[in-house]
Amino acid sequence: MRVLRIGQLGVTTHRRTFAVGMLLLLVLVGLLLFALVVGKADVTVWDAVRAALGIQVGAPADFIVGQVRAPRALTAILVGAMLGLSGAVLQSLTRNPLASPDFIGITMGAGTGAVLTLWLIAASSLWITAAGAAAGALLTSALILVLAWRRVIVPLRLILAGIGVGFVAQATTQYLLTRMDVHDAGNALGWLVGSTTGRTWTHVAFAAAVLVVLVPVLLGFARALRTMEMGDDTAQALGVSVGRSRAVLAVCSVLLAAAATAVTGPIGFIALVAPALALRTTRSAGVALLPSALMGAALLLTADQASQLMPQDLQFPVGIFTAAVGAPYLLWLVWRASRGGPS
Amino acid sequence: MSRLEAREVVLGYGDHVVVRGVDVAIPDGQITAIVGPNGCGKSTLLRSLVRLLSPRSGTVLLDGEDIHRTHTKEVARRVGLLPQSPIAPAGITVKELVARGRTPHQKLLRPWSDTDETAVLSALHSTALTDIQDSIVDELSGGQRQRAWIAMALAQDTPLMLLDEPTTYLDIAHQYDVMDLLHRLNTRQQRTIVMVVHDLHQAARYAHHVIAMHGGQVAAAGAPSDVFTEDLIRRVFSLEARVLTDPVTGTPMVVPAHGPGGVR
Repeated sequence: MRVLRIGQLGVTTHRRTFAVGMLLLLVLVGLLLFALVVGKADVTVWDAVRAALGIQVGAPADFIVGQVRAPRALTAILVGAMLGLSGAVLQSLTRNPLASPDFIGITMGAGTGAVLTLWLIAASSLWITAAGAAAGALLTSALILVLAWRRVIVPLRLILAGIGVGFVAQATTQYLLTRMDVHDAGNALGWLVGSTTGRTWTHVAFAAAVLVVLVPVLLGFARALRTMEMGDDTAQALGVSVGRSRAVLAVCSVLLAAAATAVTGPIGFIALVAPALALRTTRSAGVALLPSALMGAALLLTADQASQLMPQDLQFPVGIFTAAVGAPYLLWLVWRASRGGPS
Repeated sequence: MSRLEAREVVLGYGDHVVVRGVDVAIPDGQITAIVGPNGCGKSTLLRSLVRLLSPRSGTVLLDGEDIHRTHTKEVARRVGLLPQSPIAPAGITVKELVARGRTPHQKLLRPWSDTDETAVLSALHSTALTDIQDSIVDELSGGQRQRAWIAMALAQDTPLMLLDEPTTYLDIAHQYDVMDLLHRLNTRQQRTIVMVVHDLHQAARYAHHVIAMHGGQVAAAGAPSDVFTEDLIRRVFSLEARVLTDPVTGTPMVVPAHGPGGVR
């Protein structure tokens, strides 16, 4: 155990969790530097860092790093963290390692919202699309939460309602795509695969603001979340208000997924994989929120860089990349579960 | 004296009423056993005594105050519960599990304290788990795992401990291990213990006070020797039985009056 203190206040963490967290933070800084420096335009590390901080260093760094690479990399980090947190909370609440906002309809709802906006307004502004996606995600989330509500939120109902709502949303999206003209449909499809391309400082600010509001709430309820993993009765007997805690946590998880999807479009598998990897590396008994966030950030930034490093004609959006890597992992989890091993 | 009492409580789930107006007082500093046939409402009653279930009518009083007006955390500092099938998080060690018992004593942004550590170490010691405190709970034997859960409830450091069928699924030696442990906690640490048990023999041996329930009501309550009569066993369990005297402890021992196949 390790205690981090500021005066009277402090938190206790396991040495291993702390070490993994620090390591992930280092990796993240390394990846960020890599993302700022590596690319077609040559920029020195020093110039890249200063340009990212908004200091004028002259062309090409001011634009390439300051307006393109930095916001894109930070978007990947923040959205990855949101997805990691959202997945971690959902998996813990449902006591199911396969639970993830990708599978419970929130991402699909965001897609429907975005495509509907593109169809109605026919504007390709990322902002209008993002607003549509956010509205779609919030509406589907509200629907899922209402359907899962039986005086308290029933975790299994949350998953089942989510799957059902997700299918309806997906069908709607596909119907809309067939009704759009080819140009708009192309735009919509481009958005639907999930990408960090063209994201600006405004996107970064939005994602950061959502995290600044929701992370303290999640951390405040982290102990309740861990305790609820031992069963509702045990948690209640240990002084946790199960109904209230679960409602707050479910709403936070859903909001994070909605906000993440609004920024980048649907990016699959990060929310599924990051919490599981965080658990495996920290060997934490029970949900590891901050490691999941860091893991999600590192995974999405890595995926984003990897997809950019592919040869020009092989480059594809990061959403496809995460799916290509995440799907085999999911199959592996299912295979292990079917063999009765620990999940 | 009773710190924990139920007065005229009616309990149920959905449309189904399980406990129909029950008065019980849990004697302080003693072991109370709640017995009765399946579905008689004994676990339901136990759950209401720790606020897991709110009564349709009637009240549960903890230290003379309505338990439902008492904050969840405050209840958890006074009454501990070991539910029937708690879930051990994957990969948790014995010590980590026991440490979870400190939850009601912790505050946001307050680190693990010396009091917490002492409570956990002493719980591990009383349950003879000190040597295997770093083992993974999933890998323990049934008896050890049950002791680990009891240790968690111990670390919670509540004067009242409630246990729902603490010996189910254990072999006979481990059942008596758990019972002996509860007896020690009662005599050495003056904890008030309430347990739901199926085994009447264990109830008679270890409890000071027995509450026999039938059809959602209390059929009898009192000392084991007063409660366990042939008449009561017939009324509560619909079983013709003889009540003998345990040759070791002198407590009542219930045996069926018929041989295998119903032949006398």
